[in-house]
Amino acid sequence: MISPKRETPLRVESQNTDPNQSKLTLSARESVASRLAVFARLFYFGGTELQLFLSKRWFAVAAMAVCGAASVSAPALASAPTQIRQQSALANGASSARATKLVTDDSGSSVAIPVAVQRIVTLAPNLTETVYALGIEDKLAADTTYCDTPLAAKAKPHVGGPANPSLEAIVATHPDLVLATTMTSRETIDALRKLGLAVYFADPHTVRGMLDTTQKIADITGAPEKGAELVASLQARLDALRARLDERPLQHVLFVVWEDPLISIGQNTFIADALRWAGGESVIVASQDWPQVSMEEVLRIEPEYIILTPDHAETDNSHEIDELRARPVWRELKAVKLGRIALADEEFIRPSPGLVGSIESLARQLHPEVFGVPATAGASLTAPVREPATPKATSGAIRLAAIHAGLKPTQEHASCGL
Amino acid sequence: MNADVRHEPVVSDPYAGFVQPPQVRLKVEQVSYAYSATDRTAPKFTLGPVSFEGHQRELVAILGPNASGKSTLLKLLAGLIKPLSGRIEVDGEEVSSMELRTRAQRIALVAQESEMLFPLRVWEYVLQGRYPYGRRLRFESAEDCLMAGNALAQVGAEALRDRWMDQLSGGEKQRVILARAMAQQPSLLLLDEPTQHLDIGGKVELLRRLRKLADENRYTVIVVTHELNLAAEFSDRIALLHKGKCLRIGSPDEVYQPEILEEVFEAPLEVEMRSTGRPRVLLRGARE
Amino acid sequence: MRPLTPKRILGVCAALAAVLFIECVVSLRLGAYPISIVDIVKTLFHGAIGHWDEVPDEYKSVIFGIRLPRIALGILVGSTLATAGAGFQALLRNPLADPYVLGVSSGAALGAIVSLIVAPHTVGAIQLAAFIGAAATVGVVYLLGRRGGQLDTATLLLAGIVAASFLSAVIMFLMTTLSGRDLRGMAFWLMGDLQTPPPIQNVPAWFAFLFTIFVFAAGAIYTTASDLNLILTGEQEARHLGVNVSRVKLVVYVAASVLTGLAVSVSGAIGYVGLLVPHAMRFLFGNDYRLLIPTSIIGGAIAIVLADTLARTIAAPTELPVGAMTALAGAPVFIYLMRRRVR
Repeated sequence: MISPKRETPLRVESQNTDPNQSKLTLSARESVASRLAVFARLFYFGGTELQLFLSKRWFAVAAMAVCGAASVSAPALASAPTQIRQQSALANGASSARATKLVTDDSGSSVAIPVAVQRIVTLAPNLTETVYALGIEDKLAADTTYCDTPLAAKAKPHVGGPANPSLEAIVATHPDLVLATTMTSRETIDALRKLGLAVYFADPHTVRGMLDTTQKIADITGAPEKGAELVASLQARLDALRARLDERPLQHVLFVVWEDPLISIGQNTFIADALRWAGGESVIVASQDWPQVSMEEVLRIEPEYIILTPDHAETDNSHEIDELRARPVWRELKAVKLGRIALADEEFIRPSPGLVGSIESLARQLHPEVFGVPATAGASLTAPVREPATPKATSGAIRLAAIHAGLKPTQEHASCGL
Repeated sequence: MNADVRHEPVVSDPYAGFVQPPQVRLKVEQVSYAYSATDRTAPKFTLGPVSFEGHQRELVAILGPNASGKSTLLKLLAGLIKPLSGRIEVDGEEVSSMELRTRAQRIALVAQESEMLFPLRVWEYVLQGRYPYGRRLRFESAEDCLMAGNALAQVGAEALRDRWMDQLSGGEKQRVILARAMAQQPSLLLLDEPTQHLDIGGKVELLRRLRKLADENRYTVIVVTHELNLAAEFSDRIALLHKGKCLRIGSPDEVYQPEILEEVFEAPLEVEMRSTGRPRVLLRGARE
Repeated sequence: MRPLTPKRILGVCAALAAVLFIECVVSLRLGAYPISIVDIVKTLFHGAIGHWDEVPDEYKSVIFGIRLPRIALGILVGSTLATAGAGFQALLRNPLADPYVLGVSSGAALGAIVSLIVAPHTVGAIQLAAFIGAAATVGVVYLLGRRGGQLDTATLLLAGIVAASFLSAVIMFLMTTLSGRDLRGMAFWLMGDLQTPPPIQNVPAWFAFLFTIFVFAAGAIYTTASDLNLILTGEQEARHLGVNVSRVKLVVYVAASVLTGLAVSVSGAIGYVGLLVPHAMRFLFGNDYRLLIPTSIIGGAIAIVLADTLARTIAAPTELPVGAMTALAGAPVFIYLMRRRVR
């Protein structure tokens, strides 16, 4: 403890009036700092010591450090093959050589898929549905938590959501093939491919594209005949529908994906294409997939029908009509006043085999007169997947509001487009 | 009233006639400075030319009304701004050409307040004064701790060692700030209006301490202050500034002439010589 | 009076490193794919000495392909963000500063979005573009933040906030005009994701490269640690004590921005780490930057590895975003530390 008394000569003499003395004490301090000398010298930023920073010694040490690190780590691990070429060999004990074939998926990538696919993982609800429709659900090892169509899919093991599945969970199921859509991020697909898994990317933009994808999936999963049969029956239904709707002008519709804010669909989505099959044309012309639209535009265009996508299956649209009639701007729309609200079930927004049934049911709502459906109370919008080719006349009737007992077949053609 | 205030600085050397005059620490030769306010119509402010010398163990007070250039002069002495003309030398070296670290080893400017973002203990704060010595990335040695401890002891703040800085009172904080400046082991100690926020007891204590430090540690202490009487009591020499000109430099009794003081401060002042040889300034009935 | 010694620094860092090590071991063990600790150790051992044929393929892909890169990336990103946060808090003299306050993350995200528009399938384009975006933002904010030739704290902060807002607006604009696919990728990017695979095949070389950048930038900040201690008691006072304040500020600014750009370009913007970890380390170990920087480095690694492990195990098999976990876990810890503070 230093005593604060005046007579301590040491203190007075320690004034740095003597430059030699200060140099001596400086070297004593240097020895303390020299413990960290190596590190400190590497990064010695000083005023006039800028030369030190630029000196060769600094760079030499730094270069050595980098080379050392690289040389130590590189040889040991660089040769590590992180790809699994035959991961499912462990699962079924087959020999190490597996035959694969090259397939081009919807993104244009070339994917090497095993010839014999035993275990599939699907990363989207529509893919799960396709797998069940093809009758190969016993090959389905795992799907996502959102896969609920058909209900049996809920009992399968899950790997997470479509957007961010757990890589480990997917690997743990030892899949031969992983099916993915745009719902899964590019990074995840790349990561799965890097781990050596075969990932088939399915992204149809049209209804026919959906049929092609279904056929392709059937081909690569070893059920080509079933695929052909399914596709043929779906195609037949579509053709029949088209025949019935033939020469009917397309209804101008506003397809509402979300109400608040108002989000509709773009021209390039498969929903727009499905709409055309159902006899409707979206009034929103946009290149983006999910454009946000202002109510002013809608008021100007005055679509003939408004299509809503309710969360749960609705049997009739009376509830929706009442709700829209209560909303301030919506109730000015002609379509709302006339009660021309059509409901599309959740299959409609999914490129899967069930889409066809959805198209049919929507067509019945948009063109009721074609199907000979009277404006009666009570309507059902059931659309089972395996419906026979000709739609029944009694089911799928739409209930229109009481105001317009008779709907004229000819409608005014409001100008569409923005 | 003498309307003619002389503009040449009157410098008198209190050490004239000494056998061995104390070492000259600070040399200010014909230093001048000027700056213009941001508003273009306002006139430029000019300081100088100023010349004087500071010796070891000397306490010089710089006095003057507001906007007379006191703080500017102090900043010039500290090396914060460069003079337009003239030289300022400390221990033989010119201040404006000194390296930052060397300057910190010679000159210590005592801050008025210390705004601290994150809490710091008193001893950590004082140890920071040792920064100019040693390498950039350094760890304090035993010697540094010794110096810091000495400094704390000399300001009488030993007991505050482990306290948090923001828990100190105004006076305690100032002592600690002073201790940090002292830990720099400077030749020149500069203070800019250190008595501003202190009560009269604090003011006296501070100046007493500065006087003692000047004597014991052989500092040259330069204090900018408004306190006419305290300056007269404790300082060896006083520099009187007025509108950027240095009017007088000399011992208190020489500088405190009633006419000059009244002219400079524009207040009715009287000077009374006391038995100690130090003058005292009084207010002569201000209610007129 | 106990001044800071290198010994104390090493001691504290060793203790923290031990915590990190234990955490990594636990994290290696947890996951959807069941592997016992013994098998993990065997796999690591065989991998390290190059005997790949003795390692089952599955274990190799899970440990070396999924878990280990994720933990390594977590350590890197955590250290980087915490160091940058500590640096910015000193530079801006603001305890609420985090690495993103100067708009660097928005710049990096914008670079990434632009690369997705322009070259969506080029390998490594995203990382490079993000880094360029971060660097460009740093440059612009620096130019705007100068006053009288040097970095002025208040102006810098304003310039950073303005840049962040502007870039965010541009990002919003671009996101609404992009088609649906790219949108999803960007949502991930802005929320942070440690699963992004490295753009080159040689994973260890990639990590060595990132680590080298980190070491240089963090080292540069560490050389100014004493200076920062002084600057935090007042810039003028620091100048009087011989600190070259303008140069220290420049070094810290560049280095901290490099660190932030690095972190955002490899893992998106993970929040709260850069803000909270330095504060937590301050509460535990004091304000001295010579100790704060090393402890923040290890503390940041601990925080992110913990958050990521929780993110991938709590709601398995669903993977939560790392940024959400850092906020959920970080805020209560912060509140607890704040209340415990002895003042």
